[in-house]
Amino acid sequence: MALRKAVVQTAASVVHIVQRFSLALLVAAAVGSMLIGKADTVILERVRAAALDLVTPLLEAISRPVATINGFIADVEDLANLRAENARLREENARLLAWQSVARRLEVENAELRGLLNFKEGPQATFITGRVVGDSGSAFVRSMLLNVGRRAGVASGQAVVTGEGLIGRITEVGDGWSRVLLVSDLSFRLPVLVERTRERAILTGDNSPLPKLSLIQSVAGIQAGDRIITSGHGGSFPIGIPVGVVASAGDGGIRVKPFGEVVRLEFVRVIDYGITGLVTGPAPPPEMFGPPAPPPKPAAAGKTR
Amino acid sequence: MSEFLHQLDRALYAALPGALVALLILLTLAPIRLPDVLAVAPLLPLMAVYHFCLFRADALPAWLLFAFGIVFDLLQGGPGTPVGVSALQFLLVRQAILGNQKYLVAVSFTFIWLGYAILSGLAVALSWSATALLSWRFIDPQPALFQYIVSLFLYPIFGWVLGRGRGRDPLNEPGSRT
Repeated sequence: MALRKAVVQTAASVVHIVQRFSLALLVAAAVGSMLIGKADTVILERVRAAALDLVTPLLEAISRPVATINGFIADVEDLANLRAENARLREENARLLAWQSVARRLEVENAELRGLLNFKEGPQATFITGRVVGDSGSAFVRSMLLNVGRRAGVASGQAVVTGEGLIGRITEVGDGWSRVLLVSDLSFRLPVLVERTRERAILTGDNSPLPKLSLIQSVAGIQAGDRIITSGHGGSFPIGIPVGVVASAGDGGIRVKPFGEVVRLEFVRVIDYGITGLVTGPAPPPEMFGPPAPPPKPAAAGKTR
Repeated sequence: MSEFLHQLDRALYAALPGALVALLILLTLAPIRLPDVLAVAPLLPLMAVYHFCLFRADALPAWLLFAFGIVFDLLQGGPGTPVGVSALQFLLVRQAILGNQKYLVAVSFTFIWLGYAILSGLAVALSWSATALLSWRFIDPQPALFQYIVSLFLYPIFGWVLGRGRGRDPLNEPGSRT
């Protein structure tokens, strides 16, 4: 009986202490988790993956009505500037038709010259199309969640593009989800080329809408309006994906305006460049002339989910 | 039957603040884009936390806010971003409100709004400095500033909508603000 009383008393005092210092304990736990995240990212990433596994289906469910609402807003906006848009498109169409004939001629010429040189192309890329189901919404992280993951063949490091150009790279992958780190994120680095001068550089995100070009050997030749493309150095990105145009080149550094419009995206494509070993087809025989045959398409790739 | 309905009503009423904060966390993650306003979502969860800590602090205990904050950070952060900043924000906002309740009870809405302006400003400054310190880099504060300003002007609408709900309080007892 005395023992029981002692236990009850101890329990009561423990409860009292916990209640009294609960705020301090929780604050300490919050600070502690920040520090743990800094010291050991593996545990945190595992917990994060588990949380995302649970939440992604929910987000996917709410992303469809959200897409409808976004589409409605876009419709209203489009109606407002229909006339100006029409004029612009006509002009652009005329310009593009001229380019099309140039491109056709160059394509044929290119194929002939490649045939002459027995030129070897890089691995053929395949695409995985995914729906954007989540946004980071934070002021310090620029990322998106997609509803395609390991099951569809997505792997960490792959490039993510829209019709206009690159928007980011895959950084985390779960079974049915993946996270895209956007070009403008603080920790985004990408080897790029200045298309006109073939100058190599590193594109560095810093959370602002215009990422910076750094590590350039000669700044002198680069002008505003120069196109920036991926250089293909460092692995999983194919060469020549359009990234952006130089927005300003001055003493304060060179700023790039990305092509990929991140606002109101519904679908994006993940480029599978075959580095992960999933889509590499058999190598073409060395005596064959001309570009290598495209590798067989795996079942998972190229599928809209 | 009516007793059961009454109990259900009370249970729903008690669960409302927590459920709403959870919903707003999900909504912040949803890819909603208002016409070109911002690249970042307004601070909806923080608004709800402020509002309910002011009027229904009993329904949002500290441990729940801690859990919400951790989950929020886990979901919205990419690799390398600190987990726990939002938890710290929520807890400190709650404590600041409980500690200064005498200045915030029975005052006009303008003062409540002013309180929100100060506390959310401090909270944004906290998360900005914590993120910058932990990643040891200068972070462009402009998106955070925009987020703060948009949220500041959204708060009156938010407070008004939730205030309407408060008028239908089934418990309806004076002094239930603690």
